[in-house]
Amino acid sequence: MNRSKWITVILAPAALISVSTWAHEPSEHMKTGEKADCSAMHDMDHSKMDMNDPVMQAMMQKCMHQNHGEAKGGEKQNAEHSGNGRPPSNAKADEHSHNH
Amino acid sequence: MSLTPLKAYLAGVASVAALLLVGSATFVLSGWYPMGADEHHHPLTYKLITVLRERSIERAASDIVVPKDLDSPDRLLAGGADYNDMCASCHLKPGKNESDFSQGLYPSPPNLTQISMAPNAMEKADQRRFWIIKHGIKASGMPAWGPTHDDERIWNMVAFLQRLPELSQQQYQILTARGE
Ligand code: HEC
Repeated sequence: MNRSKWITVILAPAALISVSTWAHEPSEHMKTGEKADCSAMHDMDHSKMDMNDPVMQAMMQKCMHQNHGEAKGGEKQNAEHSGNGRPPSNAKADEHSHNH
Repeated sequence: MSLTPLKAYLAGVASVAALLLVGSATFVLSGWYPMGADEHHHPLTYKLITVLRERSIERAASDIVVPKDLDSPDRLLAGGADYNDMCASCHLKPGKNESDFSQGLYPSPPNLTQISMAPNAMEKADQRRFWIIKHGIKASGMPAWGPTHDDERIWNMVAFLQRLPELSQQQYQILTARGE
């Protein structure tokens, strides 16, 4: 009993500390992080996209894998939210259908 | 007894100093000072602290060398993901105009989606932001991220802050998502 008590006393803070250290590692976030909602990219006016703009390049980079790898079904679902070209009023609602 | 003018003058200075000392000690020890974050400074006090803060940061940040490649997609992606995880709760994001932190902290964290810099003021702004993110701001809610993050990661966030004010909700979501 005494021994397990000691283990708790030492391990509990240790666990807490190491958890807060993980928070700094980008790779740890990857597993829980939400997915980029690339459906918005498809609805954008392609003629107005400036391919020299780093923001656009970053978005392309992020969405490249999805464009090739994913079935079209998930993207269609979301198209109605952003059909008028405006950002969805409730982004959270959108994210659910795309998570994992 | 009679004092020479010089001695009289010195005695006067000494008693004023003693009075000030006793006064300050009374004020500090009495507990009268309102410490709550919901009890704001007098506007003049706030102005003074602001000038103190800005002068101090300007001096400390003036030698910082800004990397030439801040405008790179990789920096935007890395900085965006970190910003969303570590900063958005206080400094907000497109489509979010307030949070518990933005309303409850005093001084309140500026809404960084609304602070854009003129191109000619960019370098100074970058130096200043890098310094603030690395060292934090004393007695405010702004933490120092330097002890736990290397300079490159901080520069990535500085790069992201340059573009943040122009991002739509959708662009923000794509740039900051950790997953593919
Ligand atoms: C707990 C809340 C909180 C968090 C989290 C936080 N900050 Fe701050 N930040 C503040 C506060 C409060 C100020 C204003 C301090 C003052 O006015 O003296 C501030 C100021 C700043 C400023 C100066 C803004 C200006 O133009 O005056 C920058 C830049 C900044 N923070 C960047 C960041 C970044 C980047 C992160 C994430 C790594 C971050 N902050 C996380 C609370 C926070």
